[in-house]
Amino acid sequence: MSKSKSRNIFILVSVAPAIILFLLFMVIPTIEVFRMSLYQWGGFSNTQQFVGLDNFRTLWNDMNFIRSFQNSILLIVVVALITVVFAVFFAAILTKENVRGANFFRVIFYIPNILSVVVIAGIFSAIYDPSNGLLNSVFGMLSLENLQQMWLGNQEIVIYSIAGALIWQAIGYYMVMYMSSMASIPASYYEAASLEGASKLKQFTSITLPLIWNNIRTTLTFFIISTINLSFLLVKAMTNGGPDGSTEVFLSYMYAQAYGNSTYGYGMAIGVVVFTFSFVLAAIVTRITKRDVLEY
Amino acid sequence: MKLKKIVWMFALVLLVVGLAACSGDKEEGDNNDAAGDKDKGKQTTLKVAALESAYGADMWNKIAESYEAANENVKIELTLKKNLEEVIRPNMQAGEYPDAVLLATGRPEALTETLIKENGLEDISDVFEGKVYGEDINVKDKMLSGFTNTLATNPYADGKTYLAPMFYSPTGLFYNAGLLEEKGWEVPKTWDEMWELGEKAQAEGISLFTYPTTGYFDTFIGSMLYAAGGTDFFNSAMTYEDGIWESKEATKVFETVEKLKDYTEKNTVANANPNDFTKNQRLILDNKALFMPNGTWVAGEMAEAPRAENFEWAMMPMPAFEEGGDRYAFTFFEQMWIPAAAKNKDAAKEFISYMYSDEAAKIFLEAGAIQPVNGIIDQLEGQNKTFYSVYESEGALPAMGTFASTKPVPGVNMGDTLYGSIDSVMSGKISYKEWQANVEAASDKLRDAMN
Repeated sequence: MSKSKSRNIFILVSVAPAIILFLLFMVIPTIEVFRMSLYQWGGFSNTQQFVGLDNFRTLWNDMNFIRSFQNSILLIVVVALITVVFAVFFAAILTKENVRGANFFRVIFYIPNILSVVVIAGIFSAIYDPSNGLLNSVFGMLSLENLQQMWLGNQEIVIYSIAGALIWQAIGYYMVMYMSSMASIPASYYEAASLEGASKLKQFTSITLPLIWNNIRTTLTFFIISTINLSFLLVKAMTNGGPDGSTEVFLSYMYAQAYGNSTYGYGMAIGVVVFTFSFVLAAIVTRITKRDVLEY
Repeated sequence: MKLKKIVWMFALVLLVVGLAACSGDKEEGDNNDAAGDKDKGKQTTLKVAALESAYGADMWNKIAESYEAANENVKIELTLKKNLEEVIRPNMQAGEYPDAVLLATGRPEALTETLIKENGLEDISDVFEGKVYGEDINVKDKMLSGFTNTLATNPYADGKTYLAPMFYSPTGLFYNAGLLEEKGWEVPKTWDEMWELGEKAQAEGISLFTYPTTGYFDTFIGSMLYAAGGTDFFNSAMTYEDGIWESKEATKVFETVEKLKDYTEKNTVANANPNDFTKNQRLILDNKALFMPNGTWVAGEMAEAPRAENFEWAMMPMPAFEEGGDRYAFTFFEQMWIPAAAKNKDAAKEFISYMYSDEAAKIFLEAGAIQPVNGIIDQLEGQNKTFYSVYESEGALPAMGTFASTKPVPGVNMGDTLYGSIDSVMSGKISYKEWQANVEAASDKLRDAMN
């Protein structure tokens, strides 16, 4: 056996476990989702009826699905935008300014991220409680009664209440990420800029932001993935899609259809749409935020 | 090189010995079983899966014990879980079916409905014709009448029973009898009296109505449909008859629910979710609302909650539409069934018949679960006795049943449309007319898919 051949065999054997596992647990199930979306099947019986693209046609006219899709998109946009702004703001303050107890705040901000979603649902249902919840009580104390709301009852705003909880739990995580890249920007840049008379804001927009841009780009993809996943968990635990489906997101609707409505194939068709959507959205976002990477 | 060979040999020997040891163990085990078989006749292991509900898991352990004592040939293997669907579904998809399952319809995961829709249940009509295990009486002669000819037990409306009724509970409007007595208010018998009482209560800052979640409207709407048009009308509605939801009887039901909107406690919708529904139930305990639809389990569910002075649970059937009209109290029950793919169907059927034996009924009763068998009400005590005698003392008529089974229809869910929309009706987002139109549209789509 020649040396290169035995080397190749060695490489093959070494990577085989990883490849087999990847195929078995990632690729095949994904293909299976795509395949099942073409069938009508309840989940148990042996009668899987091939229906072609019928499931997708039904999907197109299913107003409940379209509403859940709108809710998901709204959540992705609102959560990503507000979280980025707050996280970058707090990160800039905690790294650049000499805040007393900066480490303490870093920990405080990060805590929501290690809580389980069910705990977050519990916390926020206490905050949003209509009669003695934190939010309405504070408004009552400040004599701002007209701001008091049925945070989980008013169908116009309940989706923003969900967004609020998601933002609260996400800020700390992204703040720590931005802080790490801000910390690695050499202090001499800021010294030079301030000698030239650049204001703090100018320093932020001309030095900090461009230099952490690549990091922000990466986190945008994270936002898409984590909002899709976490909104499902939070909605399941907090409102179960209610009142009357106004907080249904596409994964919770997929779950409701695949199991609650015994239309497994239809649920998988929703899965295909969600899969494609998140892929395409992530690609678009990465594309339009592309800038030359600045070196320092 | 030699050393390497020796190591290899050693490893090989170890492997062979290991394998041999393993298979040896198994053989021994088999031998033991065989020996046991000779002693006891044919031993069957019956896999029973049951939802661990408010009644607790303990009663099932006792049932298993007492059945094993009564039937030496059977060993019961119990699966008791609060999230039973999540545990047995993957096993079932892998072909590992339990032999008997206690899991009601109407749960969010809809495992039982899925099996009904896919024809995955075993016909158990013969259980009711046969004898109760260990007793000399037929099951059907022992059961309360009416329980085995509803769509909740015969989902295909073909006279065959696929689901055995277990643990029943009358449902109705629950209220604080102490409060009504203290205020000198009469318990309303008709909807007109309800509205009157609603005005009186509102003057004192008490709302007439609240509900835990919209899911609790299944029995509420059911009773109202019965009251509006009687049994035949109810059955037509449950079998998606064309135009039935636009009939004047159904309109009366929709209108009444919409009218309740003005009398519903304002925080109800905000709390009508799985996380906060007990806050709505607390409204009754705190004298902030008068009535809520619920089942007898609520007394146990809220046992630890603080309450107003002189609080006393009471239940009334749904109000009648006119003076002297019929009043119904919907009977909710859980179901036990055998998957068509189960291995020990005959043994499972025997086990189900045992559920109606005096012995089993007594064990269930101790845990608060009431079997639909003759004479059970006489054994009840205290609060439960008043709840369960609603049909005798209050003159309420029993109502039972559910929607007929259909093939799965993507995107159409009758429960969500008929009950889920009530949140929107209560918040004023949609009118009863839109609600009615949506229900009729869903009914149209399901009609063609009926099994």
